[in-house]
Amino acid sequence: MAYVHVENAVKYFPREDGSDMLVLDRVTFDTKEFGITCLLGPSGCGKSTLLNAISGLEHLDGGQVEVISNGGSLHSESPRLGYVFQDARLLNWKRVEDNLRFALKGMKIPQTEWPQRLNKYLELVGLAEFRSQFPLYLSGGMRQRVGLARGLVIEPEVLLMDEPFSKLDQLTARRLRQETLQICAQLKQTTVMVTHDVEEAAYMGDRIVILCTRPARIVEIYDNPLQPGQRDMDDSSFIQFKKNLLNTVLKLMEAEEEIS
Amino acid sequence: MNAESVVLGEENIAPPAVAKVGEGWKFVQANGLRIGSIIAMLLFWWGMTFLFPPTLMPHPVETLSEVVAIIGTGDFFSEMGATLRRVGVGFGIAMLVAVPLGILMGTVRSLEHFFEPPVILGLTMPGLIWAVLAIMFFGLNETSAYAAVSITICPMLAISLWQGTKSIDKDLIDMSTAFHASPWSKVVDVILPQLISHILAAIRYGLGLAWKVVVVVEMFGFSNGVGYQVVRGFNVFSMKQVLAWAITFLIVMIFIEFGVIGWLEAKVTRWRPRVQAWRR
Repeated sequence: MAYVHVENAVKYFPREDGSDMLVLDRVTFDTKEFGITCLLGPSGCGKSTLLNAISGLEHLDGGQVEVISNGGSLHSESPRLGYVFQDARLLNWKRVEDNLRFALKGMKIPQTEWPQRLNKYLELVGLAEFRSQFPLYLSGGMRQRVGLARGLVIEPEVLLMDEPFSKLDQLTARRLRQETLQICAQLKQTTVMVTHDVEEAAYMGDRIVILCTRPARIVEIYDNPLQPGQRDMDDSSFIQFKKNLLNTVLKLMEAEEEIS
Repeated sequence: MNAESVVLGEENIAPPAVAKVGEGWKFVQANGLRIGSIIAMLLFWWGMTFLFPPTLMPHPVETLSEVVAIIGTGDFFSEMGATLRRVGVGFGIAMLVAVPLGILMGTVRSLEHFFEPPVILGLTMPGLIWAVLAIMFFGLNETSAYAAVSITICPMLAISLWQGTKSIDKDLIDMSTAFHASPWSKVVDVILPQLISHILAAIRYGLGLAWKVVVVVEMFGFSNGVGYQVVRGFNVFSMKQVLAWAITFLIVMIFIEFGVIGWLEAKVTRWRPRVQAWRR
């Protein structure tokens, strides 16, 4: 399987006045292989820019991003990446299964594989019976499941998720986190997920990369001491780990406030 | 407290009685008022026949029987067929040009700047002038009818699609890029479906304009079509004939509006739940 290697990533955004603003400042890290890596940081810190740089939607001004699969770099032959967005971003005029087919077609997956893949991934996200429904007739949580299935159906080397649960109500988000964690563990899916929610990062992340605000620099990288199956939000070891993360993030924010 | 007091009484869960009355009233409002409006127009017409001689204001019943006669003799189908063909071909050509042009103007800034002046100018030019120019250029033949119709409505269609394209959801374009959708797939699967309501509105306005132009072109000296029949009625000063042909025209337009376009609209927007709670 695969992991992502980011080295000295640098990105500038143009300001209104014509000068450039540094958004990513020499960011270097490796993601977990087979697991979920969370990019954790306050809103507007450049996490999404980093994710877009990994996906290739955004070009870096310096450094590089490589997807390394079975020891070799896939940089040249454009790796297969799945994307799950904050708001599901479905094609509302296409039925659920046709939204998945849209991704399969784009990624040039042979049509002979489509039926079996559609069945597998719709089953996995619990939408098998809603496959011929139109998205606007589904709830927000179900639409996000369609988004997840669309990201997974192309069987990506790396799945990228940009705050996929932040627009859902708390109960739905909680259930979806749990299911996504199970699905990713079951598929041994290498995943990079952006979040600003410390608890979510502690729960979902096998590795947590903490970024500070503009420009984004890596402050700390934690590996989760708990296996996905052991993470229970009410368990003391989970709470302890979450506290550690939270303290790091809070200290970081205080330090930044002092500077400014 | 006994257990019964927590159970809701039936009167508490029954829907408010007003709702049902509202439904019925809405139906009357929607269809009854439409029919009533048509009856009122006919009554007004009938009233006018008392004020003017029949040569100026023919009786509605006589005129409607003339309509029936026109349809009965089969003239209607050949004449209306010719007019419809001119509208259809002209409209088709305009769509073929306007859809790509509008989408390109909405997506590529330099093309927007380049095509904006001709499109705006084209929109300001009266259809009558295009009709005259087309006949002078192509002569009195089908080509001039097709050209006049398509040139007249093309700018309006292009503007509608141009504005529609500017308002499409950019996030979905990013999504399709993330999943490596081909440019063709981006247009067909992502952009065009978002333009459907703009395209339908453009078809409605475009057809309205096309009718007006084609009748003018036919009046200039074509030997068939509804415009020609209207001129024939004019030449013998038969108000009844002019009105009867105008009415057949209305019937066809209503059929196209409610039958064809309504059906098309229902078909292409069935993915959208109908929520109209804000309307009274």
